[in-house]
Amino acid sequence: MMGSLCREVVTLQLGHYSNFVGTHWWNLQDASLTYDPDTPPGELQNDVLFREGQTLGGQMTYTPRLIAMDLKGSLQTLRQEGCLYETGKDLTALTWEGNVMMHKASPTAKNPFLLDLDKLDKGEQLSGVDFEQIPVPHCSVSVETINSRLERAQKGYQLEGSVRVWSDFLRIHLHPRTISVIHKYNHDGETHLLEAFGQGEALLQGTVLEELEDRLHFFIEECDYLQGFQVMCDLADGFSGLGSKVTEMLQDSYGGRGILTWGLAPVSHPDTTPMKELYHLFNYSLGMVHLAKNSSFFCPLTLKGGLARQPPAPPFFPHLNYDSTLWYHSSSVLALALDALTVPYRLRHNSIPMWEFADTLTVSGRKVVAAYGALPFPMAQGSSLPDALGACAATLPWKPLSTCPELGDGRCFGQSVTLRGLEGQSLVSQQRLGMQPPTTLHSLDCGEDVLSSYINGHYPATPFSVHLVSSPSKLTPPFPQIFSQTLGPQGFLQDQAPPLNTLSPLVSSIPVLTSLQSSPALGPWLSELQRGASTMDPRRVAPSFLSQGPELSDFQESLEQLRLLAGCYRDDCDGTLRSSSEEDDDS
Amino acid sequence: VFPRLVSHNLALITFSSTVCGLIYLTNVYIMSAIKALNPKAEVARAQAALAVNISAARGLQDVLKSNLGPKGTMKMLVSGAGDIKLTKDGNVLLHEMQIQHPTASLIAKVATAQDDITGDGTTSNVLIIGELLKQADLYVSEGLHPRIIAEGFEAAKEKALEVLEELKVTRVMDRETLIHVARTSLRTKVHSELADLLTEAVVDAVLAIHRPNEPIDLFMVEIMEMKHKTDSDTQLIRGLVLDHGARHPDMKKRVEDAFVLTCNASLEYEKTSVNSGFFYKSAVEREKLVAAERKFIEERVKKIIELKNAVCSNNNKGFVVLNQKGIDPYSLDALAKEGIVALRRTKRRNMERLTLACGGIAMNSFDDLTPECLGHAGLVYEHTLGEEKYTFIEDCGNPRSVTLLVKGPNKHTLTQIKDAVRDGLRAVKNAIEDGCVVSGAGAFEVAVHDALIKHKPSVKGRAQLGVQAFADALLVIPKVLAQNSGYDPQETLVKLQTEYKESGQLVGVDLSSGEPMVASEAGVWDNYSVKKQLLHSCTVIASNILLVDEIMRAGMSSLKG
Repeated sequence: MMGSLCREVVTLQLGHYSNFVGTHWWNLQDASLTYDPDTPPGELQNDVLFREGQTLGGQMTYTPRLIAMDLKGSLQTLRQEGCLYETGKDLTALTWEGNVMMHKASPTAKNPFLLDLDKLDKGEQLSGVDFEQIPVPHCSVSVETINSRLERAQKGYQLEGSVRVWSDFLRIHLHPRTISVIHKYNHDGETHLLEAFGQGEALLQGTVLEELEDRLHFFIEECDYLQGFQVMCDLADGFSGLGSKVTEMLQDSYGGRGILTWGLAPVSHPDTTPMKELYHLFNYSLGMVHLAKNSSFFCPLTLKGGLARQPPAPPFFPHLNYDSTLWYHSSSVLALALDALTVPYRLRHNSIPMWEFADTLTVSGRKVVAAYGALPFPMAQGSSLPDALGACAATLPWKPLSTCPELGDGRCFGQSVTLRGLEGQSLVSQQRLGMQPPTTLHSLDCGEDVLSSYINGHYPATPFSVHLVSSPSKLTPPFPQIFSQTLGPQGFLQDQAPPLNTLSPLVSSIPVLTSLQSSPALGPWLSELQRGASTMDPRRVAPSFLSQGPELSDFQESLEQLRLLAGCYRDDCDGTLRSSSEEDDDS
Repeated sequence: VFPRLVSHNLALITFSSTVCGLIYLTNVYIMSAIKALNPKAEVARAQAALAVNISAARGLQDVLKSNLGPKGTMKMLVSGAGDIKLTKDGNVLLHEMQIQHPTASLIAKVATAQDDITGDGTTSNVLIIGELLKQADLYVSEGLHPRIIAEGFEAAKEKALEVLEELKVTRVMDRETLIHVARTSLRTKVHSELADLLTEAVVDAVLAIHRPNEPIDLFMVEIMEMKHKTDSDTQLIRGLVLDHGARHPDMKKRVEDAFVLTCNASLEYEKTSVNSGFFYKSAVEREKLVAAERKFIEERVKKIIELKNAVCSNNNKGFVVLNQKGIDPYSLDALAKEGIVALRRTKRRNMERLTLACGGIAMNSFDDLTPECLGHAGLVYEHTLGEEKYTFIEDCGNPRSVTLLVKGPNKHTLTQIKDAVRDGLRAVKNAIEDGCVVSGAGAFEVAVHDALIKHKPSVKGRAQLGVQAFADALLVIPKVLAQNSGYDPQETLVKLQTEYKESGQLVGVDLSSGEPMVASEAGVWDNYSVKKQLLHSCTVIASNILLVDEIMRAGMSSLKG
């Protein structure tokens, strides 16, 4: 009975890059929604993330249970309250009978995608697309959605040049309580930037706190079985500090729930300087400690090569062809990974509540976990999972998404593996009758067993769980086309690349394999971060970093905690925090 | 050597506000020297620095000038995306603007700090600072050293504070006086009809929560907004309005004469202390754990029901549970069957208010529930608007926490009324705590000007010029008040000064006629603490800006990492 409950999740997006990832993520969620009553319910329960609502005019709405925070000037074309609950444009000042002076900014220019979206919202046709020639999939006209139209239009929007902020590719409507703008700091420009951890920490008080509490209250009070929060938080700037305070507040107020925090960082920032890089390093370190402490688990999520000041090159994904400096691109890869990583607590049946999910991965204070992903999972068109896994028998197909490379020695404290996008029959070997199976993988009867057996081969005798979901993440526009020529429309490897000079078909979905791990590899990785930050004296190298707190002693205490956290990952460690007198030298 | 004002990001003279659509560009930026050490650093010196700063201060003054007073101009800011902000409040406006100029930003910070401390006076602050610098500039350009002017400012401020002490009117803060104070504040924010409506609500709200000899805690006045298509109204609820309702279809929408149980203890399934790993446990085992936890919750619900049956057995009284933690559908169901109305996830900040409004004790566990823990409300009812629900808890006997309910057709109207109500509350609180008030409508400034001119000869040397500058600067308030109402500022000022000399009474501008009026008779009262704070902060910031003789701009990009 309790197993099939809808356990609601409230999502928080703190910071501009988090909102980039979040926007892709919600576009992906939206693409998999179906309003057709005849379609059987999917494997994932959408009500976990979305809420049903009603406008003052009585119209039904379905919007994310989401709070997104960003800075002044970051919204551009997006209205803070959205337009779903609009009560009509009223430009009269009811409260004043004297002079009213109007200051109207010229409307912000919209890119072709947003213009098309406006057209579809108004029920108009898209230009350049002949709908008559495109076969309508068998569903009644009434459930024709903006998504299905965009999907069928197969229009490739090249938004690479025109995406400035996340609202430039936001496809869905948000609830008026979703967007919260912090007026104290500017999104861009030269002054009043939210750059340091301490600035962010100091933000969560007074009206900012009260407003956040009100928004949380609105989304949470209506939940019957709230399972927790997924927090996406920028790690490089002051949002790292704000996130620390927000998660602390969540823990105080909703202690029994899960708080899964993803620390996001873009590969690079525009106009960066050595000083800013130093700030980032401090923000990563402080954020790592505090977000981990206040969350059920904390997972850094970035395509950077490392968190040090001169990081190595980003990980190479053989079938992706993306520009790592573009936030629009890198955030789409992370959103795709997140769509698989979060599967266990979003399942319609036998889902695992967030708190249980986190507890299992964070035994003995090991609150930081690392993510890995095969994007896409390399599989030839028409082949099977045993074949595909057999092809990567020697090395795991996934790459680090938290900058923490695997040790490759088979040690792991626990991991959750998710495979999305493979249909039932391709999960097991097809050539069984009478033939000797080439590998043990080919002899197994179900996908779970095949994948488990494979993981077990690489991580023998370590605890792990596998989840398989057959529906892939649907990549409808404006998801960027960042795939190599070798991928077919369903994201499987093609035997031969399409001939030159022909337009390759748009990739509309890809299979994804992810792993979330707590492993000894995190120990030296955290130590390295700690050493990088503690060799610098902020008073000397970045005097204004601590100007709004924390105190130097607290700063040093946080780095000491980071060192102790790293110690939790020693293999011989029984889990109790090691006392500081013990020398810790794991590298 | 003068003190230097060096900041990392100094001297961007664009003072722009892309959000509001106000754009100010002042091209006075002068790059007088380029530092050999740091080619990217930009420097402006002495007179040039002063010119830069003064123009920034005047720029800010120009933006806010038209706001001052009941006849000022309302500003409607529409962003590129269509977001609307409606305001007449200098404080709100300063928060909305993206001020890039460091000096302007400094002034804005002081002015908004004034609002944080006293709740009003932002616009006056900006106007006086701008005017002090303008007056000072007249003398500086003739060769007077800024430091001497600053000395004069300081002397003038001391005198002005003395005059403030003499002119303040100490009296018992009865309802009528408070209404005058609140009205003076509110009429500058919203139109007179609405202002009068708000005035009564605001004064009664503060009087309801005020206990003699105790500081007034305005957190005990909740401002609740309600978006309503047709209704536009503000009313005082002597109790609480919560923006959520009961989550069970069988619970009553209206309960009279009710016991109120305020509590903070979970009535829903939460994670157990047992460390349950999904690596090892089957679905069946997990179900068992959940069932065990449910039993625990059921016990708690039982205790509430027992208490309800104990106190409601021989009467028709209602029973309402307000819980800060969650209540899951099973618990709601059990409570509903017993005729109990239950609300979950009451806001943390409302918990204290609830017991202050209804009485009783907030319970953190259900182990020792007794009838003494319960509060009381004469009426509890639910109101639904679209997807929003409101629960009114009224008729609370002697509530020490009340609610101002603001209804309006759209967000920007609601926000503006809420801002005005907040300022009104602060004005009433200040008046009660000061125990005195000061004549408004420019009367105070005219009187101080007069006193300073008389005081001038007793100041030594050229600092007298600073006193003169200070006195003249204060007159910006009556002048702008007159100007905003469409009267000639100089003519009005002369009339005021003449009338003041002749009658000796504190006269301000009558904005409906442009003629002098006795401010106290017209009931135009300002806060003593606002005026006092104003004199202090304007002098400090204007002096500091005057003394800046070098502006350096060193962007982050030029610092070595």
